[in-house]
Amino acid sequence: MTSTLFHPRVLTALALLLVGAGLSVTAWQGPADAMLVPRFVLAIWCAAALVVLIGELIRRAPMPRVSRSPLPLLMAAVLIAAVATASLGFLIPVLPLVALTLWLFRVRQPLWLALGTLILGGGLWFLFHHVLLIRLPTLLTNGLI
Amino acid sequence: MDIVLAAAADAFTWQALLAIVIGTWAGIIIGGLPGLGSVVGLTIFLPFTFGMDVITSMALLIGVYCGSVYGGSITAILINTPGTPQAAATTFDGYPMTQQGRVGEALGWATFASFFGGVLSCVMLIIGAPQLAKFAVNFGSIEVFALVCLAMLCIVGVSQGSTLKGILCGMMGFLFSMVGSDPITGADRFTFGQYALSSGLTLIPVVVGAFALSEVFVRFASRDDEAARIPEARLTFPGLRDIGRRLIELIRGSFIGGLIGALPGTGAAAAAFISYASAQKLSPRRKNLGKGEPDGIIASESSNNAVTGSSFIPTLALGIPGDVVTAMMMGAMVIHGITPGVRLMADQAQTVYSLFVVLIIVNVAMLILSKPSVGLFRYLFKLPQGFVMGGIVMFSFIGAVSVRGNPLDLVVAAVTGLLAYVLRRGGYPLAPLVIGMVLGPELESSLRRGLLISRGDFSAFFTHSTIASVLFILIALFIAGTLWSGFTQWRKDRAASESPAA
Repeated sequence: MTSTLFHPRVLTALALLLVGAGLSVTAWQGPADAMLVPRFVLAIWCAAALVVLIGELIRRAPMPRVSRSPLPLLMAAVLIAAVATASLGFLIPVLPLVALTLWLFRVRQPLWLALGTLILGGGLWFLFHHVLLIRLPTLLTNGLI
Repeated sequence: MDIVLAAAADAFTWQALLAIVIGTWAGIIIGGLPGLGSVVGLTIFLPFTFGMDVITSMALLIGVYCGSVYGGSITAILINTPGTPQAAATTFDGYPMTQQGRVGEALGWATFASFFGGVLSCVMLIIGAPQLAKFAVNFGSIEVFALVCLAMLCIVGVSQGSTLKGILCGMMGFLFSMVGSDPITGADRFTFGQYALSSGLTLIPVVVGAFALSEVFVRFASRDDEAARIPEARLTFPGLRDIGRRLIELIRGSFIGGLIGALPGTGAAAAAFISYASAQKLSPRRKNLGKGEPDGIIASESSNNAVTGSSFIPTLALGIPGDVVTAMMMGAMVIHGITPGVRLMADQAQTVYSLFVVLIIVNVAMLILSKPSVGLFRYLFKLPQGFVMGGIVMFSFIGAVSVRGNPLDLVVAAVTGLLAYVLRRGGYPLAPLVIGMVLGPELESSLRRGLLISRGDFSAFFTHSTIASVLFILIALFIAGTLWSGFTQWRKDRAASESPAA
């Protein structure tokens, strides 16, 4: 039973139910007029999440094999780069992210890694920011980088 | 007639033609890479359009869309892996033909059927959209509410067998659309005191996160690599006599795709399977289906490409996207100042006709570009996957942040990417999330305007007009039908599990 509770699908359904319930509290505390539709939507959300949770508990799907993967590292890098863009501009967070992505996808020869990072990271940034003049977030106020 | 000529002149500028060639070619390549479908293609190319005029930008995106739907068939035939879900039915006969050494013939039929279906659906669009638009001017808030409710039910269709999870994701998308200031009262909703959230969440960062970034995570987790298994690919077009022999199959597949595309919520993948099922019943060579019969490829490819044109009927005329791709196209149109909906044909008729002309040119371009594109695949499949994934990450970041230059959108894309990965692992379909986010604001505003008209009496919605009543009856029938089919399926499953053999 305990192993069933810790199944990722059960945990996902449980998390969705808890998020729905939490948002429902916010919706019921808000102004009635503006929150009319959100309350209705959240009621359906919670009902669906509850049924999905019960379904996942009944189904007792086999536990997936736990393996050590650097995927959380890639996810964290994406999130950190996204958050850092507001303060560091676009180019600086994106270069290490592209390099890490290439490395994790087995592009490990130093020359290809450097070229890939420069072309995909720096090259595309230059193309959009300086050639196509689609302004991406910048570090310096003059917009150079 | 003047308006058609003016529209054609808009579509035949060198900028639009160049955009069509680049978009269609890139679409074929992106569609052919397993995992990178129409949505990722549109996501990548959307930022390029921001500096372009309306027709050029839409020409680029329509080229990517139509090209990617066709491109999916190339890998379906070559390596039994559909590049896009729309091409899944093409594998049934395409890959057996490759195994029999008939790869050129299979690719040729896929290309010609895609062209045929695409052009026929353009004709359907040109005839169908103005008629639908004339009818659509009778729609007030209550009728629009009923129609959007009906369209919301398409979530069931795209939920891939997990309806409840689809509904849950649909509600999530709906809720995403409500973050920020309430458009009627101005009150903040779900901003949690964060000023940055007051302007709300936009569609593109959510789509970028949900489809492109989560695809990178999924591919990293699965570590699949389709490289190095590609056979030598040469394309041979069918002769006129062969086309004549299979003309009925071409027309039937195109009509099925055209009709299904006009219904919101069905999409090209469903059209391809329905068309294939009809070929299994009606084709004179049905005994060979599944063993390497061109009729199977024709059924799948003519119908899925026919959807590309006809899916614009509800999108343009009613403002209701038929699937995730048209939802994205609709978002792109809004960014470029085209507001799909009941007033579009009246207010921007020339632009709409230009899009029709662009669609026809795209299909011709697809036919011409197919041969060099297939040849290119031999080289593209040798590129390490890391470069493709690195490119997707970069394009996703650029696409998310360049919509309104707000770094918060990048955080939204990243968080949505993580969330989408978890949801995909849990078997939750992501298409309803986008449908909920696209249709949510219209559903809410029409409901609240309707309540103002009816002085808060919701029961008046059902008797407000004949159109509204018919739409609500259709909704009730759809829900009853879905519940009934679910119940009968449950009984079948139960009987099967209780049988002695089980």
